Order: sequence, then structure tokens, then C-alpha cells
Amino acid sequence: MKINLSRIILWAFLLAVAFLILFPVVMAFLGSFKTNAEVTAGGTIFPAEWQFSNYLYAWKEANFARYSWNSLFVSAVTTAATLVIVSMAAYAVDRLSFPGKKLFVGIQAATMFVTIGAVVLRPQFELMIDLKLHTSLWGVILILISAHASVFFILLSYMKSVPRDLDEAAMIDGASFLRTYRSVILPLLAPGLGVAGLFTFRYAWNEFILPQVFTMNSPHLQTLTVGLAALRYGSSAAAQTHIMMAGACLSILPLLAAYLIANKSFMQVTAGSIKG
Amino acid sequence: MNRVQRLLNGYGFILPSLVFTLVLGVYPILWALRYMFYDYKGYGTPVYVGLDNFERLMRDGLFWESVVNTFVYAGGKLVITIPLALLLAVILNRRIRGRHALRAIIFMPTIISSAVMAVVFFIVFNSYNGILNQLLLKYGLIGQAIEWLGPDYAMLTIVLIAAWGAIGNYMLLFLAGLQSIPDDIYESASLDGANPIQQFRYITVPMLGPVLQMIVMLAIINSLKGYESIMVLTEGGPFGKTNVMFLYVYRLLFPVSTGSVIEQQIGYGSAVGFASAVIVGAITVLYFYLSRKLNDIH
Repeated sequence: MKINLSRIILWAFLLAVAFLILFPVVMAFLGSFKTNAEVTAGGTIFPAEWQFSNYLYAWKEANFARYSWNSLFVSAVTTAATLVIVSMAAYAVDRLSFPGKKLFVGIQAATMFVTIGAVVLRPQFELMIDLKLHTSLWGVILILISAHASVFFILLSYMKSVPRDLDEAAMIDGASFLRTYRSVILPLLAPGLGVAGLFTFRYAWNEFILPQVFTMNSPHLQTLTVGLAALRYGSSAAAQTHIMMAGACLSILPLLAAYLIANKSFMQVTAGSIKG
Repeated sequence: MNRVQRLLNGYGFILPSLVFTLVLGVYPILWALRYMFYDYKGYGTPVYVGLDNFERLMRDGLFWESVVNTFVYAGGKLVITIPLALLLAVILNRRIRGRHALRAIIFMPTIISSAVMAVVFFIVFNSYNGILNQLLLKYGLIGQAIEWLGPDYAMLTIVLIAAWGAIGNYMLLFLAGLQSIPDDIYESASLDGANPIQQFRYITVPMLGPVLQMIVMLAIINSLKGYESIMVLTEGGPFGKTNVMFLYVYRLLFPVSTGSVIEQQIGYGSAVGFASAVIVGAITVLYFYLSRKLNDIH
């Protein structure tokens, strides 16, 4: 009897936690199929009638097609460039010794912890004006790429587990350092690149303040997070709760789909960060 | 590879990373360290004013209020997140049915943008037709709508939302730490008659010591730094009740978007950013001093 009671309490607790975690996401999903009147009046859990047209409206009229494309562009380019830059650095740091290496690693670690908040966006923005990149998304992308310290440490720990014999053998056979990186290291680093890529993509896709500041005056450059938050403060916010939910679901969906397929990889990044 | 080749390859391969980090990571911080001694409103010529910005900071009620708000916000978030995350990790580290599914569900919020969730939570917690009030009213749990985002409850609401987004992350970090504790220690302890609470107290906590210390430090820094979801949800309001340090910095630098009474003050904003960073650093050091025992036990 005693064991049963503690089991019941345990499961009640676990299910309550799972319910609270899922509740807002499920409500946003269901709400995205309701009419605005139904959302505002409340009282229903499931939509009285499934309004698929909400998504059509969000996609076409509320500009979410544009936002989605911008988010995808920013995230894909940031991820690809970050992986190249960071895997190169991790390879050199793990395999070669050169003066200043410790300083380089130290700077990377420092950028992870030191923060002075949004102040840095101002000089970053001025730099992008000098480079004439402030009227495109390239400014946002370059800044996202620069914040790669945590990806560096993730890949460094994967790099340590790639056996040295393999790249040393390639070099003895006459391959250059660059050639060895491309033909030996990158293929062997693939699992690490996958995990680090997910991490980077998620970070770029979800970033809000940086694109918010950079695209304040250019709506056609806004990403999903910025476009959605703008609805919240828009003049017609009250009339568009259902569209806000459809937009929220559109921005959650791609990552959620990836998470359903590869949640182990997502979790591996987090778990790996304290083992290294 | 000779010495020259080694140096060329080494520097060549870290160069792209180094350039990005120095130009877009380090330079902006140095820029702010310079402009915090200037009166600069974003236009015109910056004027050197020495320590004026820091004198103003000492007298700035809004700033000190935001420091208090930050402590309340971070403290509340930690008090909810850390024990719950540790408890869930301990439970889901055991071989109970459905543990993988439960872990995946609890970790799920970490893949969603906090800005997007802030919009969703706005719809949930909205006072007049929010989903939560509708449900509570419908089932008669409350007599009248609660103003979740009003002056009395806004801080509680953003703390709950922050905890919602963070628990999964710290649960997973704790799980990774727990998995390094060998099972046989628990087995022999339970053979000796130790109950789960005793096992937690005398095995889990001491063996987790250094990892626990690191995870809590991460949690402290993250909760002191965070302002994204607050910005979308309340903009620091109502009446500045949820205005945290780094949100205040943002509003000094970019007041246009919020239509607030705060005027753009880049020099002063840099000083506030610097002071906030010093406060975060001081708390981190203090925490390390107070928690040094966690590291010793091992």
C-alpha cells in the first residue's frame, strides 16, 4: 500500500509538470485554428470549427511568408558559416601548439560570460553602416556568426574525441593541413557538426533583440520573432489574437518538427556542455 | 610540419574566428567602456564628461529600482527552477517507465524562442480575455479576473514564465551530472537501509558537488542577464515594476520602439551597462565564495 501511494504521488507530480509544460503550446496550437471571436470569448478548448484560413491569412496578408523566408535565410547562412569558422578554429586549437593559443581560448570563454547588454548593438550597428550592410540582413548574420564561443567549445570537445592517428597518418602521407581538415577531419567530425549545427540554427532562428534593433525601420527584413512581437504591440492586436497564435505556431513548427525527430541530439548539446 | 608551417596553419585556421570575435565581440565592449565617460545622445558630437554618468547613476532611482527588480526576478526564477529541475532530474534518472518521453517534454521549451513564447504567454495571462482567466472563471476557481500582468502580479507572472522556459535546460544539466554517479553506490546504500531522502542527502548532493556548483552559477548568470521575454511581455511595466537592469540598458539605447518617456542616452546607457555587468560579476564572485564548500566535499 505504501509503495502504491508514493507511486501515485510521483506520477501525479510528473503528469502535472508535463501538463503545465505542454499547456501554453497546445493552447496556442488550438487557438490558431479558432476565430478571433472564439479566442476572445473563451470557453472552448477545441475549435468549434477548424479555421485553416488563419494560416493562409498569416502567411499572405500578415507577411509571415516574408518573415519565414528571412528567418530561414538568416539561420541557414549563420549556421553554415559558423560551422566552417568554428571547426577550423577547433581543429587548430586541438591539434597545433602556437603562441597565443591560450589567450585565444580565454577570449572565447570571456565572451560567453561577460555581458554589458544592448549597449554593444550600437557600435555593431555603426560598423554595419560603415560597411553598408545595415540595409540588408547581412549585418544581422555577421553579428550572429561572431557570437560563436559556445559552439566553439562544443566542437572542441568533439574534436578531442577524434583519434589523432588518423589525421597524423594523412599528414605523413603528404596531405597538407588544409587538405587533412577537408578530407579527414570534417567527415570524422560530422556527428559533432550535426549537433553544433542544430544548436546554432536554433539560436539564430530564435534570436529576437538583434534583428529587432536592425530591422526596426525595414519591415521587409524582419524575421519571425520580430514580426510576431510587432503584432503584439500593433494597433489591431486585440482583433488579431488568432493570427498571433497562427504566427507563433509557424515560428515554433520547424524547430518542433526537428525536435520530434532528433530530440536526443538537441539534448546532447546541453548535456555535453558540462561534461567537457 | 616544421615550426613555420605550424604557426602559419595555426594562425590561419583561427583567423576567421578571431577576426569575428575581436571586431564584433570585443571592440563593441571597448567602445562602450570609452563612451561611458561621454555625454552622447546618438547625434551630434560626444562630449567628455568624466565621471558624470556614474554620479548620475548613483542618483538614478530608475536604475536602483531596476537592480532590485533584477534580484527579485532572478531570485524568484532560481528558487523555482533549481529545486524543481534537480527533483525532476533525480526522478527521471531512475529507470521509470516513460522517462525518455517525459525528459523530451520537459526539455521542449528550450527549443522555442522566448520572444515567441512571450507572445503566447501574453495571450494566456492577458487580464481581460486571457486563456487562464477564462478557464479559472469557467470552473469557478476565482470570482473575478486576476490582473496577471497588472502591478501586483506582473513580476510573479514573468518569473513563472521564465521558470517554464528554464526548468528543462537545468534538469538536463543535472541529469548529465547524475549519470556520472555509479549505480552501485545507490544499490549498496539501499541494501543498508537508506531511504531515498537519505540517499539524496548523503550520496547525490555530495557527489554532485562541483557540477552542482557550476550549474547553479550558470543559472544565476543567465537569470541576471535575461530580459528578452520581459521586453515583449510587459516592456518593464506596469509602472516599471518589471524593469530589470538589462532591459533598462536597452531602453536607454533604443527608446524609439517602446514609445516610453526615457530619452536616448548612449553614454549614460553604456555606464548603466557597465555597472550592471559589474553587479553580475560581483554576485558571481560572491556566489563562488559562499558555495566553496560544494567543491570541497568531493
